[in-house]
Amino acid sequence: MSDTSHANPYRVYWVTWGILLVITVSMLAAELLHLPRWFLIGFLVSFMMVKALMIGGNFMHLRYEKANLAVMVFTGIMVTSLILLAFITPESWNVMHQTLR
Amino acid sequence: MSDASHAAVMEAHWGGGAAPFGASWQKTMMWIFIVTDGLLFSGLLCGYAFLRMASPLPWPKQTEVFSMPFIALMTFILITSSATMGTAVGASKLGDRKTATRFLFLTILGGAAFLGCQAYEWTHFIGEGARLAGALAGSELGHLGVPPQFPATFFVLTGFHGSHVFSGLVILTITAIRTALGKTPAQGVEMAGLYWHFVDLVWVFIFTLFYLL
Repeated sequence: MSDTSHANPYRVYWVTWGILLVITVSMLAAELLHLPRWFLIGFLVSFMMVKALMIGGNFMHLRYEKANLAVMVFTGIMVTSLILLAFITPESWNVMHQTLR
Repeated sequence: MSDASHAAVMEAHWGGGAAPFGASWQKTMMWIFIVTDGLLFSGLLCGYAFLRMASPLPWPKQTEVFSMPFIALMTFILITSSATMGTAVGASKLGDRKTATRFLFLTILGGAAFLGCQAYEWTHFIGEGARLAGALAGSELGHLGVPPQFPATFFVLTGFHGSHVFSGLVILTITAIRTALGKTPAQGVEMAGLYWHFVDLVWVFIFTLFYLL
């Protein structure tokens, strides 16, 4: 636990809550602005990952666990998802072009 | 097994005494469960990506179909319930049973409110003509020309997530009652908390990838 947790053991949860809310509102605001599509995708996905890391690190205490555990969780889910996406993306475009033909 | 031979087994490399993750077996198993459940949602989200990219019809703008302030409210409720859950875990670790119980019940309240919002959203969407296999012909959604993949992925993604919220509520209710009675150790509250935060984590992905992108 960090030093701040000794002063108020629950502070970390409510600070994280505040940051998550600010990020969520920013994401909703970005959706309403007419931003270039690729910029919007990059912005939303980046902040989605920041939110996920904050929940995993602060709420699920991965920050305070042994690095092995965090590595197993992160690589287990992220690498599998990226491999899956890499395989299905070209295939989905093939399907769309065949449907349109 | 004598104490000496038990100690020898525990000290051996393959004896079960080694803890590569530096965590109790309960926590290690909980994390392995979370990874497998995360892979389930990863598969569902990749399936959603496939169907969306393969759709020859344009994907509708979510702001035209859903009420974004309502979705924002649902997100606010779930994030808040995660903070109350964290506080309950922290309190139970400090041995403050009263605070832990109070915040567990607040978390249950948040989870129930989220499920209520989801039930309302489903009812509204079905009323607009959404079905698992696509929009009904002649319905409001049918006129918008949404591809059948849109309601299908909506029901599957939010349905799976909602069922996780429901099981989380069952686990939390049992944990809250047992904590109030002094029967659940701090580790039990922590395990329930890990599951609840995972449910919140999944919503972060569904909220961004389905409702915003």
